[in-house]
Amino acid sequence: MKRRLLAAAATALALTATSACGGDGGGTDGGAGRTTLRMIVNITPNLTEQFWNGLFDRYEAKHPDVTVRLELTGTIEAEAKLRQDLAAGDPPDIAQHVVPTPETAELFVDLAGEPWAAGTPLYDDYAIGGKHYVVGVGEQIQSLVFYNKKAFADAGLDATRIRTIAQFEEAMGRLKKAGLVPLQTAGQWVTGAQFSMLADAGVLTADPDWTLKRKKGETSFAAGGYQRYYALYRSWLDQGFLDKSALGLQYPDGQAAFLKGDSAMYVMGSYFVPAADEAGKSDGIGVFPVPSDGAYPPGQFGNMAQPYTVVAQSKHREAAIDLVEWLVTDEEAIKVQLAADGNLRKGFARDVSSLGGGVQKILDEAPAVLVKQGERQPVQGYADELNKQIQSLFTGASAGDVATRLDQWWDSQG
Amino acid sequence: MVGLAGLSADSVRVAARSPGSDRSTPGGRRRRLREAALSAGMLAPAVLVYTVMTVVPVVVALYLSLTDWNGFSSAAFVGLDNYARLFDDPDTARAGVVTVIVACFGSVGMLGLGLVYALQLKERNWANSFFRTLAYYPHVISSLILGFLWSAILGTNGAINNSLADLGVGPVGFLFDENLAVITLVGVVVWAGFGFNVVLFVAGLQTVPRELVEAAQIDGASRRQINRRIVIPMIAPVVTVAMVLDLVGLIKVYDIVVSLTGGGPAGATETIAYVILTQSFAGTDVGFATAQAVGLMVACAALSVAVTALRNRQDRAAAS
Repeated sequence: MKRRLLAAAATALALTATSACGGDGGGTDGGAGRTTLRMIVNITPNLTEQFWNGLFDRYEAKHPDVTVRLELTGTIEAEAKLRQDLAAGDPPDIAQHVVPTPETAELFVDLAGEPWAAGTPLYDDYAIGGKHYVVGVGEQIQSLVFYNKKAFADAGLDATRIRTIAQFEEAMGRLKKAGLVPLQTAGQWVTGAQFSMLADAGVLTADPDWTLKRKKGETSFAAGGYQRYYALYRSWLDQGFLDKSALGLQYPDGQAAFLKGDSAMYVMGSYFVPAADEAGKSDGIGVFPVPSDGAYPPGQFGNMAQPYTVVAQSKHREAAIDLVEWLVTDEEAIKVQLAADGNLRKGFARDVSSLGGGVQKILDEAPAVLVKQGERQPVQGYADELNKQIQSLFTGASAGDVATRLDQWWDSQG
Repeated sequence: MVGLAGLSADSVRVAARSPGSDRSTPGGRRRRLREAALSAGMLAPAVLVYTVMTVVPVVVALYLSLTDWNGFSSAAFVGLDNYARLFDDPDTARAGVVTVIVACFGSVGMLGLGLVYALQLKERNWANSFFRTLAYYPHVISSLILGFLWSAILGTNGAINNSLADLGVGPVGFLFDENLAVITLVGVVVWAGFGFNVVLFVAGLQTVPRELVEAAQIDGASRRQINRRIVIPMIAPVVTVAMVLDLVGLIKVYDIVVSLTGGGPAGATETIAYVILTQSFAGTDVGFATAQAVGLMVACAALSVAVTALRNRQDRAAAS
């Protein structure tokens, strides 16, 4: 009670002090005998509000006593939305796209006791202290370079021969000479995410425990393998391999620019495939693993696709667990979700485009899927800070500045 | 006169004495108690609402700002650590500078543009009414929508840069150059808010006595001199109110930042309110976020007091 009062008061002050917009209230029960489950969902170009409504229509058809109500995140991340709801004493029942950390694990229900949970993808990789707070539909791999086949042909490039960083740089040089923007990026979260897709494959393949070591203070951004990637990224900017004005693009705009042929390569996760399929451009696009100076192919930086958590404060815990079980085990629900976001799951073959087939082949040949979750999760807020620092390379910061600032920031997080 | 004449001297004396004599009688005391109870009863709802909605959150927030509360677990008392961190945290320091820039330049722009606009539109006719409405309409639209709108106009692929590209001119970094992005933010904030000042100033201008202006005109004063020496000093209290409202509003600016720049590029347009809501409060750092919010509240209060005190001093100096 005291905690709820504190939460409500803190929320009121934050809202008073900042004049932020409030969300709507949250009733949970509908008519007699009906249960309304509230679920936070992340809206993306692939996972639209329409997609979610369609998915839950299927569930509601099979469970007429349940209504699923979407809680849209609006301008904030799903995790921030969950915190706001909890702080306001108005918890949802389920959160999608929220991955528990050791600090936040207590907010979620441990699903280890559910017999169906252990068979879901990356189940053990996301465990925290032996408990399993999150289950997912499939896997995403992210260390992928999508390329425009025509641009490569025009520049006389063979994508299968690009394996090392030097070969990648040479290819970018030739594409630039051919009058193309070699590498597509964008603002928002894209800048830092693309850097991670590229650098993590190299650094974490060489040392899968790098994040654990950084947590213990045994390595640093300035001394470890990432420093080389900051310098590389900076030099690519200086050479014009990345367009600095791309920082003014939003994620969908950057994707659209690549699909339109404005740029030759696009580092992105497997969830780019449905967008290319939808645009009817898949056949003109190829894919290869990100280059690496170490083992080739490198491990694929990856993660659980469509992660779901049941909120511990849910007033309909059993019904919420039932819905999550359906989402991650029902064959039809899985196929719909995998297709919508271009994700993969063993035992769930589906018709894919040539581009989707290329991604599946890369996953099959990857020595490992590198997951930065569970014990290997960076400190909270790292992705945002990395994004900010990588963007600062665009606005004049040096590789050394970025490494130093990241070390300072990491250490300041206690 | 007739009524007064009808009163006897005794009755006037009785009436004059009655309040004092009321105190000494049981009936008077009961009436006073009843009146006091009635007053308290009428005030109570307002006091209750104010206490619950403002005083309690502020007091609890002050307490939380002295803890390491993460938003869901129990909190440990950390003294003034969070306040010390306000000065050490690079994100807060940078956001503080951006906030000051936006508040200062934004309020100057809103006041200046609002005043110029209002002086041009002070006469009542249909054309002025139309232009006043035009100036005010951004104020009635959600700031989030305005931010998205301008983002679509000024982004790398926005309307302006696409038009420039057709002319063979490279994209202008309205949203991707860190300095220009701050200027863009200030510009959009001014555009979105100056209309409210126009309404305030036009209302103030209606109160300027016409005789004063006519007398100045007869004395040969130019329009500029009349505005500078008579009109603007006469509406100075309105300007003060507008300035306080602008400053306080801009210190808390958040929604336009979210939708226009998302705090980028590289955090160059992050304001304090943006940092509080998207990073600290949204993360597990609620104790620190609350300290930031308290700091913001204190800054708003200090600004309001300072501007009002300055205005009062000028008024006293002018009167003496």
